[in-house]
Amino acid sequence: MVELLAQTCLNALYAASYMSLVAVGLVLIFGVMGVINFAHGELFMLGAYAVVALYADLQLPFLFAVSAGLVFVGVVGLGMERALFRPLRNNPLGGLVASIGFLMILQALAVMGFGVRMEHVPPVTQEVITFSEKVHLAMPRLFVIIAAVILLTALWAFLTKTRFGWALRASAQDPEAAALQGISINQTSRIAMFIGAGLAGVAGALTAPLVSVNPHMGHSVIVTAFIVIIVGGVGSLEGAVVAAVAYSLVHTFVTTFYDGVIADIVGLSLMLLVLIVKPTGLFGTADRA
Amino acid sequence: MYTKIFKDGLSRRRFLETAASAAALAGINTRVLAADKVIKIGFLAPLTGPVAAWGKPGLDGCQIWAEQVNAAGGIKLADGDYMVEFVGYDNEYDPAKARTGATKLIREEDVKFVMMLGGDTWPGAQPVADRTGMLFSTLLPSDLAPDTETLLAPAEVHPIYNVTGVEWLAENKPDLKTAVICAQDDALGLPSVATYLAAFEAAGIEMLEEPLLFDPATTDFAPVVTKLIAKDPQIVCLDTCYSDYVHPIAEQLFQQGYKGQIISCTADFYDQMIDKTSVEFMEGFIFQFPDFDDPALNDEAINFKNPNGFFAEYTKRHPGEWGAVSWEYASIMDLWKDGAEKAGTAEPAAVLAAMKDGGRGLHAFGTADWWGEDLFGIDNALVGNWPVVVIENGKARIKAFKSIPEWYAKHGDLLKKHMAAYGQMWNQRG
Repeated sequence: MVELLAQTCLNALYAASYMSLVAVGLVLIFGVMGVINFAHGELFMLGAYAVVALYADLQLPFLFAVSAGLVFVGVVGLGMERALFRPLRNNPLGGLVASIGFLMILQALAVMGFGVRMEHVPPVTQEVITFSEKVHLAMPRLFVIIAAVILLTALWAFLTKTRFGWALRASAQDPEAAALQGISINQTSRIAMFIGAGLAGVAGALTAPLVSVNPHMGHSVIVTAFIVIIVGGVGSLEGAVVAAVAYSLVHTFVTTFYDGVIADIVGLSLMLLVLIVKPTGLFGTADRA
Repeated sequence: MYTKIFKDGLSRRRFLETAASAAALAGINTRVLAADKVIKIGFLAPLTGPVAAWGKPGLDGCQIWAEQVNAAGGIKLADGDYMVEFVGYDNEYDPAKARTGATKLIREEDVKFVMMLGGDTWPGAQPVADRTGMLFSTLLPSDLAPDTETLLAPAEVHPIYNVTGVEWLAENKPDLKTAVICAQDDALGLPSVATYLAAFEAAGIEMLEEPLLFDPATTDFAPVVTKLIAKDPQIVCLDTCYSDYVHPIAEQLFQQGYKGQIISCTADFYDQMIDKTSVEFMEGFIFQFPDFDDPALNDEAINFKNPNGFFAEYTKRHPGEWGAVSWEYASIMDLWKDGAEKAGTAEPAAVLAAMKDGGRGLHAFGTADWWGEDLFGIDNALVGNWPVVVIENGKARIKAFKSIPEWYAKHGDLLKKHMAAYGQMWNQRG
């Protein structure tokens, strides 16, 4: 039983890691720009396809492919900010609708470029850390955990220690007051979109060798990410991380000890419970909710 | 793929020249001349979306079939020879789109036969079939019901043939006595769960846990696998899952140190699974769909025409894309062609009668019976032998052809019991 618990904790740690990256990106975009980016799952998908193209097809180093995935998807995010979200800034539902349309475009482009079939991404390494006969952690999953810790720590440092980070947080708290202080809303939106999209892209890139890469892979990710940010509190970065860990623990443990389908029901019930008890989410504030 | 093409240094000009030449050649080879009499066949299946792997490769196989048949003179009916042409419609595995597609194919394209994957999309097309009397086929006999007499399952009796893999396993590895199952919780997975439970019970293999169902939206299979192997099963059964699930589950079994037997309905693109695990790990993996370059398919009893040549042509045109359905729709067309030529016409009712004449048919893997009233309420599934395939040294090989009717004669009650428990009998389906 101890081994089963240990293996389940390792499984949950991995799930929490990549989901934190996705959810924090989604929250950052919403916090600064006030846009619910429905295409966030497809940004995750683009990151995975960057690895398919660069690592699986062109056989470039995996780390390079992941880095390129981060930058590429970040740049796509910049394009979304300029072409979709900025013109619709004063339209509360405009960004939402535009992102839904854009996700369909991204899916269609993936189908046209790569086909409908699941892509094969060769394993980065087949090394497995064996803690005991029944407790294992594959190295590619460890890479995801380490990368998530490094990137989220770097983001925290950026937001709390740099002028750009302060500007970002100020824009998130009160865009009008921030603008009156001389902070460029366009500038902070660009930064938020690049970082938010890049985090989704790097999550997709890192997990590409571990999941089925296909044009529709973003759907299940975005559903889980929305549950996580609602539980954590829409607009709260800390909440997104805490909720990703909590959701992953609950989902993984229920799957292991009961059933995968029941785990989904429990996850949704958890979200409903939080909405009833604390409608703003665990770390949310009434302003953003 | 784009990147693969340009990796080899292909210039844009050269690429366009090659593409234009290929298109022209393809046109010469496949286009039916205007003067020819043509029979159109509808192909109503998912060509895009998550289930496309069980539609698109089938259409690719049908195009090869059509070229071969047309080159040999076409379909020989009472009023002359007809060329055959496939008209595809992408239903995206959506019942509403299946309904629209069925209507369009019948009314606008004047097709004489419609092939479907079936499953979730059949309820969409069924009213059109009932209204028009059009002949339809499905790969999933769980779609069959006595309400629609013009729906046939002539290629495979999914999931009943899965019993042959378990039977072969019990005969050849009698020491393996415990098993677990994981399955996707949908219309594809549940009847297969019932079938495997019956097969394991018939073989005297104990289930250590209730079948572990997972949501088809699952992306991380580590928790599923941790639960599966927690009680040290000797056999892990992957049920009937999309390859998007079979691959990561097999990879997780490898990463979590599982060393026992694996059995699955399909193992599409198994070379990729070997790449992600190892030849040793995949050794002995049992499934039900052979590569058609298998020497065992050259046996006289096999009715699929030139299987090795078909496989060679398919893999030449679509490298790395051979899968479970690549040959199945083409094998249905063999049966349809025989029926049409026997009837002397392509009219659906006459072809249906000719195909079922005598209660027997030439199934791809041997002569088979029209069967199914017990399970589906109608004898519209063509059932006979089915291959058991095992991976040996990294290559799938047919180890035996086992008889489904013989198994059913001995253990049919078990199958009905488990099907009923999962609400999968024809009269239980809503």
